[in-house]
Amino acid sequence: MTETAARKATGPAWPRLGLTQETIVFFIAIAFFAVFAVTLPGFMASDNLLSLLQNVSVLGILGVAMGIVVIGRGIDLAMVATMAMSTAWTISLMNAGTDAVSAVLLGLGFAAVIGIVMGILIAYVEIPAIFATLAMSTVIYGFGRLALVDLDVIYVPEDADWLRAISGSVSGVPLPVIWFGLVALLAYAFLRFTRRGRYIYAMGDNYEAARITGIPVRPMTVLQYLLSSVIAFGAGIITASLLATVNIRVAQSTMVYDVILVVVLGGIGLSGGKGGVRNVIVGTVLIGILLNGMTIMDLSFTLQNLVKGAVLLVAIIVDSFVNPRDEQTAQQGDI
Amino acid sequence: MSAPLIEMQNVSKDYRGVFAVRNVDFNLHAGEIHALLGENGAGKSTLTKMIAGVTQRSEGEILLDGKSINFATPAEALDNGIAMVFQETSLVPSMTVAQNLYLGEEKLFNRLRGLYIAAQQFLSSLNFNVDPWANVSMLGAAQKQLVEIARAVRLNARVIIFDEPTATLTPEEKHYFFSLIERLRKRGVSIVFISHALEEALAISDRITILRDGELVASDTTDKFDRDSIIGHMVGRSLSDELFYHKHSEDGARKPGKKVLSVENLSMGSMVRNTSFSLYEGQVTGLFGLIGSGRTETAKIIAGVLKRNFFHGGELRYLGKSVRYRQPHKAVMDGIVYVTEDRKAEGFFDQMSIAENIYMGDIVTNPPPGGLTTAGAQQKITEEWSKLLQIRAINPNAKIVELSGGNQQKVVIAKSLTQKPKLVIFDEPTRGVDVGAIAEIHKVIQSLADSGIAVLVISSYLPEILVISDRILVSRLGRVVEEFSPSDATEEKIMYAAVH
Repeated sequence: MTETAARKATGPAWPRLGLTQETIVFFIAIAFFAVFAVTLPGFMASDNLLSLLQNVSVLGILGVAMGIVVIGRGIDLAMVATMAMSTAWTISLMNAGTDAVSAVLLGLGFAAVIGIVMGILIAYVEIPAIFATLAMSTVIYGFGRLALVDLDVIYVPEDADWLRAISGSVSGVPLPVIWFGLVALLAYAFLRFTRRGRYIYAMGDNYEAARITGIPVRPMTVLQYLLSSVIAFGAGIITASLLATVNIRVAQSTMVYDVILVVVLGGIGLSGGKGGVRNVIVGTVLIGILLNGMTIMDLSFTLQNLVKGAVLLVAIIVDSFVNPRDEQTAQQGDI
Repeated sequence: MSAPLIEMQNVSKDYRGVFAVRNVDFNLHAGEIHALLGENGAGKSTLTKMIAGVTQRSEGEILLDGKSINFATPAEALDNGIAMVFQETSLVPSMTVAQNLYLGEEKLFNRLRGLYIAAQQFLSSLNFNVDPWANVSMLGAAQKQLVEIARAVRLNARVIIFDEPTATLTPEEKHYFFSLIERLRKRGVSIVFISHALEEALAISDRITILRDGELVASDTTDKFDRDSIIGHMVGRSLSDELFYHKHSEDGARKPGKKVLSVENLSMGSMVRNTSFSLYEGQVTGLFGLIGSGRTETAKIIAGVLKRNFFHGGELRYLGKSVRYRQPHKAVMDGIVYVTEDRKAEGFFDQMSIAENIYMGDIVTNPPPGGLTTAGAQQKITEEWSKLLQIRAINPNAKIVELSGGNQQKVVIAKSLTQKPKLVIFDEPTRGVDVGAIAEIHKVIQSLADSGIAVLVISSYLPEILVISDRILVSRLGRVVEEFSPSDATEEKIMYAAVH
């Protein structure tokens, strides 16, 4: 094959660089970083950079959890509700005098039960994930508010030093960042090097083929939602530690869409089977830089949402130029 | 002969430097039936898609009535009288047959009754037995194909391109289809049809063009060709002896070993009706049946692929135990694998590499130590099976979608065979597979039986059934109705048992 022929087929030379959505988003993130560093006073201050990292850590952890589900062609819209209610229960149990270990185990167990119930609804009852988790998120919130916690805002007890320590720092590095790194590393290893990780990719890629190949698709689906719920509980504990409160109204906020934004922006296609933890990290970094910059600029919440949406659109448009959907990819059902 | 209606001059199409079609000169005359033949991946579909505006050429000229054309969309081609009927159906599944036929021509207020009456009359004028009220999603593959053909005919196209029109049709429907295109030709319509069925091409076409590896290797009137010469052109070697026209009965059929599976009075809805048969170790059992005879459904019940709520009754005994699989997982773990007839929809993982696809089968039944996958194990198993099945890929880490149909099929087969099965069910193992790969897949099937595995091969291609089976079952209307030994089976006898 001559070089010129190859050129002719793909148009300009730049697509040959092997740009993917992941690298594009990474470059956009660097560009934002550079622009903010030059134009925004105080952006490069080490305090600000640390708080930037700290603030995106929770989003990143949730993004990893969502990523695991989305790669398997699912979606977990109940993730934020699970996070809020399981953590709120743990904290209010502690307030009521339950010892920390039991409180944490109960909260974790609650999250795990939610995950298993969602997995069963999706895998065995065969309800589409988007409806099952949307309905579950309302059920979780309602059930939690009725039966588990009395208040919308729950304060972390004064004597819970271990909980405060979770969001401390080690030699200058905020611990939430380390937790994010740890979760990302474990998820990376799970997806990349284990048999079950491959099953998740296979199910997202072609569910029917995965079934026929003999992959236990139903238990695997339950496992995905179990993992995402349990990770969400962890993210909730870190949030509680950072803010010293749990505000269960977050369950009804748009936070879950921020999580989806991180995942999609990083390049994990909603059609499943694509991407990995690296994509989540890249998406998280961009959103983190963007949110931090906009906060320093003191933009309104509405304007911030508009910017986030626009960024997602740009990423998708650039991706469609760089990875054109020609007839051959279209035949394979590429979305 | 008059000037050609469509003239392609030196046309090429490449995908990022890989040529699907290269420097082809192809002529289509008014009122001729032109068969386009070639192995899978030879560029037949791409060539015709360029005429129909589905893809655009990279180089060369296409002339219609002497004027250069370059259609950007199929709709534009249609306006110029060129229609294409695709292999994969392009019907709207949630609409009725009549609605699909008149799609895009609805008035603001449709008279439904009129629509259905018109559709009914039109379909019967073509001799197509399709209910215009039926929802397309409820139709079988063959009936969908008929609707698709009817739609193209209705649009009064001057050129109709059929991509494998007969692959899913029953002999009766084929007969009507051929008489239909004969009538179309008399009306001056030019027909291009892509096919793997050489006998059909020889029987009905006026001219034959053969492509190999994207290049045109032969194009002439049909009387200049015979079966052997076509195969010779297609593969660049004479394969026909190796393929279908020998019977392996010199050394006799293999004797049955231990009974592996017995199916007793199995029923499921209207597709499988009270069918009974057995499969034995070390034997290839061929199962022949027309579309709608319940072959695939029976196989899918055995392998646990079809869901339990459709399961109506009967008993399956596998290795002496009564089994009732609700998910394929259990069946695969017990040694029953099903190699699908539709590799794209349920066979391979299209975002994965060849190696990852093959390894996926292995890790299901043979968990790696600690549940950890390794690149080394993946490479080893891929090398082993690529050699056994002669999978031709330059790089095992290339994506599977870059392979030709035959090689993709081999990867899907390899994925199942890594699972050390005791019973392998092949559903149309050579559908959409090029001639060279067919022989190799047949060899693999034979060697499985030689090594003592029970093999069931479902096929609607008679020469295939005759050449690979040690025992032939014929299925009709949901049940196995007859059994033949290969020495006394003939195409006529089998077909007689299969038609209803």
